[in-house]
Amino acid sequence: MHFKLRAATKEDCKEISRMILELAVYEKMSDQVKISHEELERDGFCQNPFFECLVAEVHEEDKAKEGFTMVGYALYFYTYSTWKGRSVYLEDLYVMPEFRGKGIGKGLLGKVAEMGKKEQCVRLQLSVLEWNTPSRDFYAAKGALDLTDNEGWHFIRFDGQNLDNLANEAPKD
Amino acid sequence: MSDQVKISHEELERDGFCQNPFFECLVAEVHEEDKAKEGFTMVGYALYFYTYSTWKGRSVYLEDLYVMPEFRGKGIGKGLLGKVAEMGKKEQCVRLQLSVLEWNTPSRDFYAAKGALDLTDNEGWHFIRFDGQNLDNLANEAPKD
Repeated sequence: MHFKLRAATKEDCKEISRMILELAVYEKMSDQVKISHEELERDGFCQNPFFECLVAEVHEEDKAKEGFTMVGYALYFYTYSTWKGRSVYLEDLYVMPEFRGKGIGKGLLGKVAEMGKKEQCVRLQLSVLEWNTPSRDFYAAKGALDLTDNEGWHFIRFDGQNLDNLANEAPKD
Repeated sequence: MSDQVKISHEELERDGFCQNPFFECLVAEVHEEDKAKEGFTMVGYALYFYTYSTWKGRSVYLEDLYVMPEFRGKGIGKGLLGKVAEMGKKEQCVRLQLSVLEWNTPSRDFYAAKGALDLTDNEGWHFIRFDGQNLDNLANEAPKD
């Protein structure tokens, strides 16, 4: 099956949002999705975008049961290491179940790495859940280092009231 | 791990002050009369950048938080952390995230006391990296247009 990978445009955000929700429904966490295509349009296509996105499309004759020709996406952004410099972080990688096993996921991952290298990034990083053995094995087979297992890194988050409290403690100018 | 640091001020100048900067940075300064033994008045920094959650939107990631040992215990670290949170909120971020090493108990306790959630312990998140030849291999596997 032929597929095409390209940079997302603002007009693609409704379809990307549809796929974000599909992934959340699959993970039984659709109530966790708080943003819609409007935030994606605003945040991905402003002066200093918060992310970039690649989408995967198939031809009309190969479209999904529901009629979609956009069948996958990879959303990523640039980060920084004070020791190594520019890096790229892969936030989401998703291919509709019906279209898996055809190289689309690998293609998207490779394309993100290529985009990163064009920007002189020296690292590609991502996070994966402990129980997600297929994904962990996939990345390990491609040479990824699990920094949590190997170096003891823990990922920490502040949100909601705790984030507000931190901000309120900032010294006043 | 000083042999691990591969970039210098030149990369920082290029990457932090270009059209689409890769990071922002706050610095902490003291008055001349309080300067460090070596003569420095710049005694700490917090380097951060904006990230994105497809479920929650804009987030801020704190990459480095450092205060010279001689100046710790005076609220500078807390002040820098709070300022990053404040900058994030100004940009409508809903999360502040960072990473900390398992053995770094003082830092882990500090963040936990301020309400941080350890996503690795609580949700099983693992942080994954590709670099060097493995990154090159991935890029070479990208479909050609």
